[in-house]
Amino acid sequence: MTDLNDTTSPTRREFLALSGATAGIASLGMAAWAQNNVEIDVDAITNTDHVTDVLVIGGGMAGLFAAVKAHDAGAATMIVSKGRLGASGLTPFGKGFFVFDPDTESGTIDDFVDTVSRSALGTNNPTYTRQLAVHSMARAQELRDWGFFDQTLANRPFIKPIEERNIPLLERVVVTHLIKEDGRIAGAAGFRVDAEETVTIRAKSVILCTGAGGFKPSGFPLGDLTHDGTIMAYEIGAKVTGKEWNDGHSTRSVNPAACYDNWGDMFERVPSTNGVEVHHDLGVDINYRAYVTGNPVSGGTGAVQPTEAVDGGPYVPEEFQNVGQPSGDGEGGALGAPPSGEGGAPGGPPPGFAASANVGGASAGMAIHKSEGLVPFDDRCASNIAGLYAAGDALGSHMAGGIYTQIGSSLAGSAVQGAIAGEAAAEFADTVETPVISDDRLIEFTDEILAPLRREAGYGPAWVTQTLQGIMIPNFVLYIKKASMMTAALAYVEELRDHHAPMLRAANMHELRLAHETRNMILSAEMKMRASLMRTESRCSHYRLDYPEVDDENWRAWINIYRGTDGAMQLEKQPFDTWPT
Amino acid sequence: MTIKSISGCIGCEECVKSCPCDVIRMDGNKAYIAHAADCQICHLCRMYCPVDAIEMAPEKSIPVILPWG
Repeated sequence: MTDLNDTTSPTRREFLALSGATAGIASLGMAAWAQNNVEIDVDAITNTDHVTDVLVIGGGMAGLFAAVKAHDAGAATMIVSKGRLGASGLTPFGKGFFVFDPDTESGTIDDFVDTVSRSALGTNNPTYTRQLAVHSMARAQELRDWGFFDQTLANRPFIKPIEERNIPLLERVVVTHLIKEDGRIAGAAGFRVDAEETVTIRAKSVILCTGAGGFKPSGFPLGDLTHDGTIMAYEIGAKVTGKEWNDGHSTRSVNPAACYDNWGDMFERVPSTNGVEVHHDLGVDINYRAYVTGNPVSGGTGAVQPTEAVDGGPYVPEEFQNVGQPSGDGEGGALGAPPSGEGGAPGGPPPGFAASANVGGASAGMAIHKSEGLVPFDDRCASNIAGLYAAGDALGSHMAGGIYTQIGSSLAGSAVQGAIAGEAAAEFADTVETPVISDDRLIEFTDEILAPLRREAGYGPAWVTQTLQGIMIPNFVLYIKKASMMTAALAYVEELRDHHAPMLRAANMHELRLAHETRNMILSAEMKMRASLMRTESRCSHYRLDYPEVDDENWRAWINIYRGTDGAMQLEKQPFDTWPT
Repeated sequence: MTIKSISGCIGCEECVKSCPCDVIRMDGNKAYIAHAADCQICHLCRMYCPVDAIEMAPEKSIPVILPWG
């Protein structure tokens, strides 16, 4: 059944024929440098200005609770999301929610925190680990009341508390800039993808619930996450942490980009809760095996998981060596049954070498959930910028550490931290006046936002992104690290940062979004390489071939990144179990 | 190929709103595949579609970069 208005996407053959591509880099089917054939009248783009007490950026699990709790604490609250509430970022795909129920757990919360700390080799912040356990039941109950555990599509339960409270919600608005005035947060600026319109929002307090990000890799549903919040905050002086860690989810070698197919029917499952189950799931071990032995896995259904040991490789504490191996039973979908309890991609252990799961890099560019993002300056999600908070994967709380530990803690941690940040931001907003931002200042932001549309020529964001992927995603750069390769990769990344990012072009609002996302990915790549070069040891999901041992003497420390007074990226150590000063 | 086809669209825009990567847009009262290269094959559009109008395929329309091969 078709009608004249039905559409079919081009096949790969047609796509290449249309682009005229033949060989080499051109086979990517994307023009590199070219004239910018702008499809819209840039001078006709208008601006809409909003005012609120608390601005929540991001519509996932953290953003939901941040908005609800800020509102309930008495603050005028607004949510803005690049996508749709509950249907963007990683939230729609997480199906497991960790709950610490003292009536059913055999151990105490102290036991739980200690176990996570042992698995994480000290990389976790125990204050945030404990907070997760303490608040998880209450957040799960609220989600249950909204119907979250009764359905497969999160938009519906998420919209319920937002509509009940009449919280203004702006969807499909890409925020690109945070505004700081007089040393404190003053708002944010961005644009709509569906309309030729920029958006400015004046706010007393801002909570980044923008998730983490990657390099738009294949096989994991984070194509819309590009560390936007982290980079915006870095640019106004926030400190960032956790960039050396690596999430290790894998995908199949056949149709590696097919997220849904690779996770079986999991994306359509009803969410559920689970109790304490602490792992030390690397993902980097898969990359090490592939690096040492060549591609070690025969693909296809029923592929046998390699059992022989390889010498060397990442350290796994003995207590956790046999925990968290994928079931690999081949049932329930292409990856076999997802690990018990978790049932969700975000926060889940790497699916590993279950049948057909045979190439890494599905989540390339993302660190461990909750390990990368803004440096928390207290236990209430505050950054070093007055009025700016972050929660969930945008906060480098190191709740779980630099390795997967507690199953299902990703969704639960986002809920818990969102609620805490919401209340903290509302309290802050109660102490300050609405910031004054001059019209001229707002025009500076909108001019910068729209710059890629005004360029007569430039580099296509899709081409720059694929070039960045080619630099960063190879196993011997991102996962199995050594100084020489990272130094080389960094030189490429600096070239993209200095020469190509300033010349990104966009022909329409969709490409404008890609241009800003591409720039954010370039800066995140620089952070990942610099932090990985600085960390001269191996620990958790950070593995260096030239420093393969855990170095407790020198590296019981996190790495914080900030922008120096000269604009250059600076790095510093923050000892474990301390707060920054 | 990513989203293979949209057939029988009723114009409710659920897929446009639910696509994390802004792949689908409206042309009048019909949804169409505007940016196939950006599809992450997550099937949210198909799951939110109330009339099962969207058919998916597992192939990406552009080459993918993997850590090894």
